[in-house]
Amino acid sequence: MKESQVVNELFEKWILDAKIKLDEDNFFLKINDYLESTHPEICGKCPPCRDGVVRLETLLNKYKDGVATLKTLKEIEDIVYNLRSSRCSVGLDIGKNMEVVLENNYHLLYNPVKKY
Amino acid sequence: MAKLTINGNTIKVKKGTTILNAANSIGVEIPTLCYIAEMNEIGFCRMCVVEVEGEQDLVSACNTEITNKMVVYTNSVKVQEARKATLRLLANKHRFDCWNCPKDGMCEFYDLLKEHDIVFEEFGPGKGRYPDFIDGSAINQDQTKCVLCKRCVAVCNEVVEARVLKFRDDDGLNPIVSPTPELSFDASGCIGCGQCVKACPTGTLFEADHQTRVEDKLLESNTPVIAQISEEAAHIIAEELSQFGDELGIRDAYGVIKQLGFTDVLDINTAKDVLVLEEVNTLKQHLNNQQDVSLISSHCPAAVRFTELYNDDYISELSTSKTAHMMQAKLIKDVLETPAYVVSILPCTSAKMEMERDELKDHVDAVLTVNEVMKMIKHRYLDKDRKDVDIEGGTLQAALSVATNYQGSMVQLENVLNTLSLEIDNKPLDPIEYKVIAGDESKASTGVIKEAKVKIGDYKLRVAVVRGGAQIKAFYKLLDNSKTTYDYVDMMACPEGCANGGGTPFIHDITTHDVIKKRIELLCQSTDMAQYDPNISTQTLYQKYLDQPSSDQMIALLHTSFSPKESTKE
Repeated sequence: MKESQVVNELFEKWILDAKIKLDEDNFFLKINDYLESTHPEICGKCPPCRDGVVRLETLLNKYKDGVATLKTLKEIEDIVYNLRSSRCSVGLDIGKNMEVVLENNYHLLYNPVKKY
Repeated sequence: MAKLTINGNTIKVKKGTTILNAANSIGVEIPTLCYIAEMNEIGFCRMCVVEVEGEQDLVSACNTEITNKMVVYTNSVKVQEARKATLRLLANKHRFDCWNCPKDGMCEFYDLLKEHDIVFEEFGPGKGRYPDFIDGSAINQDQTKCVLCKRCVAVCNEVVEARVLKFRDDDGLNPIVSPTPELSFDASGCIGCGQCVKACPTGTLFEADHQTRVEDKLLESNTPVIAQISEEAAHIIAEELSQFGDELGIRDAYGVIKQLGFTDVLDINTAKDVLVLEEVNTLKQHLNNQQDVSLISSHCPAAVRFTELYNDDYISELSTSKTAHMMQAKLIKDVLETPAYVVSILPCTSAKMEMERDELKDHVDAVLTVNEVMKMIKHRYLDKDRKDVDIEGGTLQAALSVATNYQGSMVQLENVLNTLSLEIDNKPLDPIEYKVIAGDESKASTGVIKEAKVKIGDYKLRVAVVRGGAQIKAFYKLLDNSKTTYDYVDMMACPEGCANGGGTPFIHDITTHDVIKKRIELLCQSTDMAQYDPNISTQTLYQKYLDQPSSDQMIALLHTSFSPKESTKE
């Protein structure tokens, strides 16, 4: 399958049918795959998208490694919302998709870091 | 006209105005980082984002035009959080060694971090985007500090038109601003004008460090260290010093510099006059022999290098005189036979590149820019108000001058023509009426080409003043296309000349340049062309030490040669 088709499928899943919840087992892997698939499109002109996406990946890796904390989640939120100030639709789309992910799967991000 | 509301205030502004300009017109400040008015309104940095009612996303104020009935919030929670998040992202890729940074307290990025109370959460301050350090004899780049604002690129492309610095975004995640990859600034075709250094908001681009070697030399007690300061540099240092307290004059600036430990502090006005006399003789020879080519001044090292690199057909038309500070250094060392370490204090970064030229080795030993001198002054806790520092005395000052009020014009062309007029017509030159043929005099960013016709004796001269790299390029094109020639061309690579040199402190309003305008007014205050006669000021020098202008001795001492230079660009 071509890379663009993979991206399209993910888009369909997240944007057109946002209510479908992501597969819980592969959640972090899939988001990382999606973020990685956006790399070629990033033009490198504005920080929210250029530096933000890489930063998101690093933060999500912390979940995979089991070292995430509440701060990690807070930073993820910050970066995702900051994508709204991107310069072009590449960053804005990544931001909106990630917002949908947060909206529908917040528990997946919150459960591992909650204190009690 | 369109109506819009900014933070609850309804105003009417012209259609086509950007949100940033509309906000500024009512005193609402929006922070910016990559923005230079009219030159770099690209919305790269996302610092100027604002919230517009009805828009899903935040928009950048610097390049979004207003629409009728727009409602804008410049300081809402969303906006503030976005700015903070962006700053955190940038800071994570910036190396912080602020106490040791060449920007030395003038950093705009630091100011923004401070204004926005940036606290790091998951990620702290970074190690830098790239570890590379790009060398150059005038300009250096430390890429660990680049915030990719692209201001230097805009200036290098539009003001200077050397097109050395480029934004390389082949890899979108890791873009880089640099000269030709793997090459130094010199090999990439840099003319060393330093306009990029002035534009850089961080300490990424900075002038080559000569401060350390001068400070080391000042600590050694066996060699006398002589500082020679240009009029412009002394004025800008006084201007900078007076920000801390009372208005200081140019002589006070000399006093403060003397306190740094220099054995002697000289100005370069005498050498400037020697240069004028040499130029007058070159011009006379030119008028009598070669009417079919132009005579182009060589007193700006950056303009000379521009010609050598990009318009080598015109090298033969450059006047062969050295620059004034080089002349004076040669006079001090070879004619006055003073064994000394000569330090030029100039507003110029290109002079650092000039002193590395093979033809000019062993002239000046170091060139300090105004910025470097200011750093030295700040770091040494000098008493800036001390008035009793003796800056006079000694044989050097008797032969050369010290902090005299320079009566000549800031434009060398006028000094040369005035002297020629004194010689031929026995009267000072009438004020020259220029006609602007390119650029805009009210804007510092564009540079300017002015031409005039002057009659001196039987000579009818066609002269021109060219300021700014972009205009140098345009001027050579004009010479190419029109096949016309000029009898004397005063050429400088910085827009507005030395008062706006690359080694002077950064000014935020690059395009409106109020500070530069004021500076030039101050510099011109002492100009009195009726009194100006370089023959008088150089009398002692010529009587005691020198032969006639343009004699063999003078040609060997004060003239140099130029050759085509190559560069690699990608």
